[in-house]
Amino acid sequence: MSEQTLAPAGALRVNPTWIVGVLVALAALYELPDLLQDYWLRTFNSVVALAICSLSASLLFAQLGMVSLAQYGLLGVGGWFALRISHGLGVPFEIALLAGGVAAAIVGLIVGLPALRMRGLYLAIITLMMAGAIQVLISAFGFPDGGAGILGKSDTTRQMMARPFVADSDSAYFRYSLVVLALCYALVQAHIRSRPGRAWAMIRRGEVCAIACGVDIVAYKVWAFTLAGFLAGIAGGLLAGGVGQLDGSAFPASQSIMVFALTIVGGAYSWFGPIAAGLLLRAFPALLNDFHVDGNIATMVFGAGLLHALITAPQGVAGQIAGAGASLRKLVGGGKAAA
Amino acid sequence: MPDFAPFFVSGLATAATYVLAAVGIVVLYRASGVVNFAQGAVGALAAFVSWAIVQHGGPDVVGWIAGILVAVALSLFYGRVLAPRLAYGDPVMRAVATLSFALILLGFIDYIWGEAPRKLRLPTDTSGFEWLGVRITYTRAVAFGIAATATVAIMTFLARSRLGLQMRALANNRDLSAMLGVRVLRADAYAWVISGVLAGVSGILLADLQRLSGIALTFAVIPAIAAAVIGRFASLPATVAGGLVIGVCEALLTPVPLIGPFRTAVPFLFAVIALLWMQRRATYVYR
Amino acid sequence: MIEINDVTVMFGGVRGLNALTARLPEPVTGLVGPNGAGKTTLINVLSGFVLPTAGAVKIDGQDLKGVKPHRRAAFGIRRTFQNEQVVENLTAAENIAAVIDNVPTDGPRGKLIDKALDFVGLCARARVLGRDLNAFDRRMVEIARATVGKPRLVMMDEPGAGLAEDESDHLRLVIKAIHDHCGAQVLLVDHDVDLISATCTATLVLDFGSRIAYGPTAEVLADPKVRAAYLGVVEEAA
Repeated sequence: MSEQTLAPAGALRVNPTWIVGVLVALAALYELPDLLQDYWLRTFNSVVALAICSLSASLLFAQLGMVSLAQYGLLGVGGWFALRISHGLGVPFEIALLAGGVAAAIVGLIVGLPALRMRGLYLAIITLMMAGAIQVLISAFGFPDGGAGILGKSDTTRQMMARPFVADSDSAYFRYSLVVLALCYALVQAHIRSRPGRAWAMIRRGEVCAIACGVDIVAYKVWAFTLAGFLAGIAGGLLAGGVGQLDGSAFPASQSIMVFALTIVGGAYSWFGPIAAGLLLRAFPALLNDFHVDGNIATMVFGAGLLHALITAPQGVAGQIAGAGASLRKLVGGGKAAA
Repeated sequence: MPDFAPFFVSGLATAATYVLAAVGIVVLYRASGVVNFAQGAVGALAAFVSWAIVQHGGPDVVGWIAGILVAVALSLFYGRVLAPRLAYGDPVMRAVATLSFALILLGFIDYIWGEAPRKLRLPTDTSGFEWLGVRITYTRAVAFGIAATATVAIMTFLARSRLGLQMRALANNRDLSAMLGVRVLRADAYAWVISGVLAGVSGILLADLQRLSGIALTFAVIPAIAAAVIGRFASLPATVAGGLVIGVCEALLTPVPLIGPFRTAVPFLFAVIALLWMQRRATYVYR
Repeated sequence: MIEINDVTVMFGGVRGLNALTARLPEPVTGLVGPNGAGKTTLINVLSGFVLPTAGAVKIDGQDLKGVKPHRRAAFGIRRTFQNEQVVENLTAAENIAAVIDNVPTDGPRGKLIDKALDFVGLCARARVLGRDLNAFDRRMVEIARATVGKPRLVMMDEPGAGLAEDESDHLRLVIKAIHDHCGAQVLLVDHDVDLISATCTATLVLDFGSRIAYGPTAEVLADPKVRAAYLGVVEEAA
């Protein structure tokens, strides 16, 4: 059955003292929009959406050791439904966002269900193929942009997605996204600290143990996978709102692989990991662009980064930061003791 | 009613490349426990190296040999240098590691050559013969022939040769084989070599039959893996059958009006059906 | 009451259990036999991990057929494992809470957890993470998990392995107290004959998947058949 892969203490748990640090960081970030120019502000809007997508992959991996290579594809599905419903029905942004989340959850579930009962390897394979299939569908159908018909594609002008009432400007939208990010984290935490989190921890320890303690393994895996799909869908809606439109050619299967790769590199077991992943996924290529470096360099670097992470099994970038933080604290504390 | 015959023929040829790649994946998995998601990317690099040599005026044969050698070298490098260094032992993470290798290769290919539309040309493209009213280029016949020969050769090799026996022992129980005196690392290395050769050959053929594109060739690993899933990563005959069915179905759907553009999702459907079929009886294994 | 009726288990060509029949009413029953005798197979049948090829098992008159493995904990069948299976990322209390989530209970969760921890003597370590507990404490957490709620049968697979003497004594006390604590029968598999003698009122002996003896422990252990198969006899000098 499933081996217990390396899972450090409190996978994805948030220590109470950390919450204070997070709140301070969020407050600082709130001020960030005023400091950034347009392009970078829009980039960071995308970073937040991608962080939520990475969070969904991180949830599955850290809690259950499940590898899903389809999360970015599901982001696309969520974005598609959010756009369609927003353009077609004119509903408030929040409704469209939730609809996208639910749609992605359902799609992910239907497709992933056959593999959830089998070895983890099959889930990785099926989600990879799912990402490929979603790529085919999205590049064929494109994204809704205000037109009529099922596909919602317009022949004339492409409409931007309607933003939430309270957040029309880019900087307001950034703050709005941060709130959504915080809510997603809260949702994940609520799960981890209660019944599903305990069941997931049991399953990770060993399926035999979990069964003997009465855990319905398939049901809890389904729950996790559905939640991950929901989060990815929310990320899709958020991305659509931030950028205004989504590009049908921007959802290759390789991007889904990269989301997973960077989730590991960012640090799947730490709360900061998904944010680091979002930064790497969006901000790093943008940075390369600024310096006129080929984007394929980013692909190679990310691939090498994942390989490095798998060879050394560190806690990822977030872990390195946390490690550096700990060393720093020791240094300061040691200095104080010596003084 | 469109004429399906030419699509059937081209489907068989593409299916042949899927079979080659799938056999490589299954043999490697059985011997080393690694599902090589980088099979397609390695094949892609082999195709590009081949093409580049011919572009620069070198003879075709040199191009092919160089391409296959590159594929073997990459596979060996991954299998004997990188793979043993992984901190994770379970099959999923080892497969994910091959994905990272694929990303590196794909990034490299797109960096050097980009995604401009290209075709790899083989000398057998221009001539062909007729069979049952359909024109079959020699390339397609060769592809099918190579796949058939290679599959039979590998199955015979595994069943009859000493090294094949050792690989089967490895597949069964690695630690036990080591204790019995099987030279595990050597058998392992040979498995990677076989995988590399098959990747190189299938990559070059597919680059000719479809297109020379880093992304397309890298993700051609998906139909190969779907075929391996159908074979449950164990049975070569079932894998071959799966690869043929997937390739032919994909091709046959091309002229069909609404479904045509989505035919690349066919391997995915087959893999899902195969999984559902595997679960029809609830069996539970307690280790 | 555990009723095993004519249970046969085939692993390919190997008979794991051979038409085994037994009625086990005692509060603490021992299950012994040489390696390969079928002890773990029998426990796996009761846990639902192995389906018998023939025969049926009943607990308190209810047939286990059709009860899915993950529902057996709620049914009342619990077990501890040879390789302890405490969840490292959860505290001792949370480990127990994880079981409470899935079984019928009769009281507030906090009280049940405290009661279970108190029973095994781990109250002081309720908030300690599984990874920080020593081997003996982990065994106790497993027992606490197995006795929470309303279990009917607690199966223990070699709980005494690798314990120091005082730990072993504590284990014996706990095992003997399980029935009074939660009303469950105990089925104890172990190679430690002293442990079996000290805790089990009756013992079932298996060899090659068949029952070779059942009765009061002292009698069974003195039985010449059991001695020949399991305990060993002193060879007469030729």
